[in-house]
Amino acid sequence: MFNLTGEEKKVILFLLFLAFCGLALSNLIKINNRIEKLIYPQVQLAKVDLNKVDLEQLTELKCISAKLASRIIEYRNSIQKFSNLEELMDVRGVGKKNFQKIKALFFIE
Amino acid sequence: MKKPLAALILFYCLGIILGRLILINFWVIMFVGAVVFIVAGIFKENNYIFPVLVLFLTLLVGVGSLRNSYLLPGCHISKFVYYQDDSLYSLSGFVDSVMEVKSDHTEFIFRVREIQAKQLKWHCCGKILVKSGNTFELNYGDNLLLIGRLSRPYSFGMIGRSYKDFLARQGIYLVMSISDFRQIIRLPGNSGSNLIKFSFNLRARLEKIISRSFDGLSGGILAAMVLGQKRNVPWLVNNYMVRSGTVHILVVSGFNVGIVAFMVNLLFKIFRLPHKIRIILTIICLFIYCLITGSSNPVVRATVMGVIFLSAYLLKRDPDIYNSLSLAALFILAINPRQLFDIGFQLSFISVLAIVYLYPKLKCLIHLQDCKLKIVKFAAEGFLVSLSAWFGTFGIIAFNFHIVAPITVLANIFIVPLATVITLCGFTLVISGLLCPSLASLFSLPISLLINLLLSLNAAIIRIPFAYFYL
Repeated sequence: MFNLTGEEKKVILFLLFLAFCGLALSNLIKINNRIEKLIYPQVQLAKVDLNKVDLEQLTELKCISAKLASRIIEYRNSIQKFSNLEELMDVRGVGKKNFQKIKALFFIE
Repeated sequence: MKKPLAALILFYCLGIILGRLILINFWVIMFVGAVVFIVAGIFKENNYIFPVLVLFLTLLVGVGSLRNSYLLPGCHISKFVYYQDDSLYSLSGFVDSVMEVKSDHTEFIFRVREIQAKQLKWHCCGKILVKSGNTFELNYGDNLLLIGRLSRPYSFGMIGRSYKDFLARQGIYLVMSISDFRQIIRLPGNSGSNLIKFSFNLRARLEKIISRSFDGLSGGILAAMVLGQKRNVPWLVNNYMVRSGTVHILVVSGFNVGIVAFMVNLLFKIFRLPHKIRIILTIICLFIYCLITGSSNPVVRATVMGVIFLSAYLLKRDPDIYNSLSLAALFILAINPRQLFDIGFQLSFISVLAIVYLYPKLKCLIHLQDCKLKIVKFAAEGFLVSLSAWFGTFGIIAFNFHIVAPITVLANIFIVPLATVITLCGFTLVISGLLCPSLASLFSLPISLLINLLLSLNAAIIRIPFAYFYL
């Protein structure tokens, strides 16, 4: 009826498949909120939990020196846990400029 | 000689390396070149001596072009500024890039036309890097007057791999730091190329479509995969990808250029455009895509190769992959021979060369053509392509990044097909976002799911014991 070529049929099928997947996922999110976790990448995949990270993991982050990493852990032990990221500036060696650089690495749950 | 360009580019590259290692006066090279040229003219009928002399001449061209690239024109801005100069300069010119937002500052490239210091004004040329702790609303082509101190970038790190060398390869020898918005005065008018302006505007529109459709993380990754804009990719994600050897999917490369050529060609085919017009329009779109993504070495390489392949179809000739790869290298190195020492250039060309050379040989070695099962064949092909690329590049990666990741081969088998689907869907999303924005939001959910899958898979892969180790 439409006189479509093979490639056009493939394109249409691909677009329809994508749209159907989109619709199905959008519907699933509305039904069950937990599906959202499956669709959107979790913050743990891109950032480190500042209250759970250990010294080894922190040292592995190449943009933090070993000395600074141990200071951060020491400070966390002394205050039990960080309540916000700005508290990092209380650690010796983390100035305003340094904080701007490293804050993107961490999150607090 | 079946692959004349490949041999010529090999000797041209050797010449560039030789020029770096040995300090030879430019005019000595020219003199030797003139002598060899005359001898080549005399022996032009000799089939043994003539090719050797031509290759030697190419080598001399390589040495000469590198030595010449170190010389700056007399009007270059860096010639007006002393090594430790604390003077205040007024520079007029125009913004030659878009504003790049870094973690703690913003920066842009400024093309200078006039320099003024202590009541004296000169016409000059060249580019400088402008850094600022504040954000300014500046666009490509804006005419500005900048007031500030100029400094030379520091040369920390190994020779050839320092920040100073990185900037020098882009033709930048001076940096200006702006701390106050009063140091920037807007001048009337607008400069710069209209084509580049159009490309940057289009990129901004496409970025807006992506940021509207996704949250921070998915949007950042898709913008890197489709538009080559890595600024919103978190450092940790980038680092995880480096560890698994799959960071190449976050950079625009030949793979993306291939997808653009395929999609554009298909789109024009749907509109029933004639074959020749379709190819010409695809070539134009490839040029625009190259400008949109910032004309990095892998994109320029892939664009030149793509143009050669499309032109070959147009002229009904058989394209040769080695010759087209060589022409792409020649295109980049003729403009700037120092790009040979750029890691991006080395990785881009060596990985393609390794795949083109090793993959067919490995395929024959394990008699893959005899395999009947399609899935096994597909997986084995992916493994061999990945293995070929790893063989070609692991030396450079180990030397420059001090990491060896044997898991790369396995990781790429899973990650590359997934990244292909994401990129394909990403292009569909941005095109649909331009034509019908409501469709874009519908497409965003499956893409976000795929990105989540990719990140989780990558995080799981690097947790495998002995997946990677630092040297």
